[in-house]
Amino acid sequence: MSARSRRTPSGKPPGPGGGSDHVQSVTPAPATRRVFLLPLALTLALFLMSFAPRVHDNAILTRSFWSAAFVLLVWQAALFLRLTSARIGRSFLPRLRKQHYVQAVVQFSVYAYWGWHWRPVYDYLWLLLAQLVFAYAFDILLAWSRRESYVLGFGPFPIVFSTNLFLWFKDDWFYLQFLMLAVGFLGKEFVRWNREGRRVHIFNPSAFSLGLFSLVLIVTKTSNLTWGQEIATTLTLAPNIYSFLFVIGLIVMYFFSITLVSGFAAAALFGLSTLYAASTGVPYFLDSDIPIAVFLGLHLLVTDPSTSPRTPLGKSVFGLLYGLGVFVLYAILGAIGAPTFYDKLLAVPLLNLSVQGIDRWVHAIRYSPLWSRWGQDLAAAPARTNLVHMAVWIVFFAAMTAIGKTDGKHMGDSLPFWQQACEDGRRNACERLLQLELTYCRDNSGWACNELGGHYTQGRIVAADPDLASGYFSRACELRFQAGCFNVLEPGRLSQAAPRVIDLRLLLREGGRNLLDTPEPELFARACDHGWTFACGRLTGSL
Amino acid sequence: MPSGNRPPAAPEASGRVQGHQDSPVAATWIGGVAALVAFVLVALLWISHPPSRSAPPTEAGDGTSAAGTEDSAGFRSAAWYLPDDEMLGFVEIPGGPFLMGSDAAADTLAFANERWADGRTQRTVDLPTFYIGRYEVTVAQLGAFAQATGRTVDSQALLGPPDHPVTAVSWPDALAYCRWLETKLKAWPQAPPQLSQLLRDGWRVTLPDEAEWEKAARGTDGRIYPWGNEPRRDRANYEGRGTMPVGSFDCPECPFPLSDMSGNVWEWTRSPYTPTLYDAKEVREDLEADALWVMRGGSFADPARNIRAAIRGGADPGVRRPFIGFRVVLSRL
Repeated sequence: MSARSRRTPSGKPPGPGGGSDHVQSVTPAPATRRVFLLPLALTLALFLMSFAPRVHDNAILTRSFWSAAFVLLVWQAALFLRLTSARIGRSFLPRLRKQHYVQAVVQFSVYAYWGWHWRPVYDYLWLLLAQLVFAYAFDILLAWSRRESYVLGFGPFPIVFSTNLFLWFKDDWFYLQFLMLAVGFLGKEFVRWNREGRRVHIFNPSAFSLGLFSLVLIVTKTSNLTWGQEIATTLTLAPNIYSFLFVIGLIVMYFFSITLVSGFAAAALFGLSTLYAASTGVPYFLDSDIPIAVFLGLHLLVTDPSTSPRTPLGKSVFGLLYGLGVFVLYAILGAIGAPTFYDKLLAVPLLNLSVQGIDRWVHAIRYSPLWSRWGQDLAAAPARTNLVHMAVWIVFFAAMTAIGKTDGKHMGDSLPFWQQACEDGRRNACERLLQLELTYCRDNSGWACNELGGHYTQGRIVAADPDLASGYFSRACELRFQAGCFNVLEPGRLSQAAPRVIDLRLLLREGGRNLLDTPEPELFARACDHGWTFACGRLTGSL
Repeated sequence: MPSGNRPPAAPEASGRVQGHQDSPVAATWIGGVAALVAFVLVALLWISHPPSRSAPPTEAGDGTSAAGTEDSAGFRSAAWYLPDDEMLGFVEIPGGPFLMGSDAAADTLAFANERWADGRTQRTVDLPTFYIGRYEVTVAQLGAFAQATGRTVDSQALLGPPDHPVTAVSWPDALAYCRWLETKLKAWPQAPPQLSQLLRDGWRVTLPDEAEWEKAARGTDGRIYPWGNEPRRDRANYEGRGTMPVGSFDCPECPFPLSDMSGNVWEWTRSPYTPTLYDAKEVREDLEADALWVMRGGSFADPARNIRAAIRGGADPGVRRPFIGFRVVLSRL
């Protein structure tokens, strides 16, 4: 029903709740003054947080906080003046929604577990808290600029938490983090369409801003302003992270019936990865059959019920398309030289846009003899059916884990494997080798930097580029890899050496283990197991 | 994620807002969103092409020189701020033998790492002729390099006065400067004829090795300091608070017309660090070794003991310290 058609006979609009949620539509000015104390307090809190040592140590970060607080202050002042002069009231409508607080708890548990194994997450908590404060103030002011009541609950929590599970801007660019949140809320408020007779937002709010900013970062080649790459890879520092995400994912699946979305997305990715590996002899993804950040995404990013199909078949198609989308985007991003961690982010807004099409398609075929029976069965008892789906998903995940497709060893992370595959001329193997070495070089492995320099010197698997080679050799040398130093000194004579112990601690992380304190014999055993023949020799020598 | 799910009865889902002013307000807000997105785009584009780091201004010159608009005293702006003399600051060190290492009997301040691997404290080393920089490389010279190449150098390196020795440079930074300077000099029509000829003959601009550095510092007679056997505050910048302009001290007693071979800043060499002196021709490169490279000469922050001509320090090639710089050498490798 449209807003106009629901106006009261007196001409005043009805209260925001509708039905039992009706509240007084026009509040006297004193009430407006009182309710404005909350956004004012939040703004003040944001300003005061800028004096926390974590923030105050960086001048740009401090100014980002001040700028955000200033924008909020100006906005609420203008709104307050407009409303008081028109004698229009504003109010809160307290309402706790399960999909908000359950999501928030689940997401927070990810931060807690991940941060336990990667300290920067805990160091980031102040900034996460500041974003929550900002998000509440922004959301309140946005709502009051458009309607009388703000639904006060845990709504901003999942938006802030899910955004930050995938992308943070570095401290010097943190004002863009506030902007990204703001764009998410604006997208939710204004980018809407009519769906099933209701006007609803098209995009998952966090996925909308993540997708938009990802696109801009790719186009402008400014991914280095963010911690996106680190976020995508450091999740694996937490042991058994797949199993952890699987367990907390069950909670979300139980409460919100999104099992089919996650399950079909995972099945599509496992299936496509397996097909690719079977046909080419090399794995598709580098760190597992489903990259860990994608696995996180298919539990906590793509599963917003309000922006995904509601029918079982629609959810299944949605999940399949997400899996397919990630698979294709991974290849496209790799081909254009963009960071591949954007794959999971770019796919969601595209899928959100396809929801109505999926709905129509499902509607068209649900009456066909083939599907009608299944559709009716699925729709008959949704809660019970969801439990069945969860049981299937549990069996599926257990099977994948049993065959080492999740937390187990994955050959895609083994450098000797890719060196050999590249030598053998396997499809994309040399590109993957370069990509892996680049990743480890950025992780401060002098060996990897020196190998990269060697490739760009030799020009065998990539076009020769003396300047690039010199840069990698310099980096290797600065990381105290002596062969790199000799390559800097005498560029015409390529020096190479086996990885040092410190390199092995980086190169052998595969399943997510933190190897910094691993004893050397254990490290060499692990290296030998990964195909480093020199390590097998040292292992024999040490026994 | 289900972050914004709304039950059917929820007010927002119905699109019902107070005083709903459909088109104009919506258009305004959509415009606002578009403006925000445009802002993000512009900000990121600006970020992706940041203004270059401050460095000395350039003049046209040969089109490739990164030199200042004015000569500073003793340096040629059109020649990348190299010293204004016949050989652009390269001083000839004639070939021949010299005494290398420390005789602990004569030099009580000597460290154990200044002797030879075979146990001898001093040894005669014969070197061919080479040319070494009169001064340590200056801030202006490195600035010209950074501006011409776009190489990212530590911001601290370019903060000092232009005629002070550059510091906060890593070992690869120093070698990159040498390589760039060689390329520039080879291609420069106005280069001194003798210098051009040497470069055409295959001589290389690089860092001095330990032997070259030590011979240039103490000459052939095994003296402890470049000027003699006793420390002198009027000959070098040591036990001080900071760097001084290169060439601040006259040294008529020195064997060669070089400045600051003792003190001011430690100087990188192209010799890998070992616990004792070694002959580069005798020792195989150890690629498995942890990388440390020799620096020589001591700095403004060191006591007299550490500015002796035979002093040796080993440093991580990646460090950028406010007391480590370098000078160049022209050598037939």
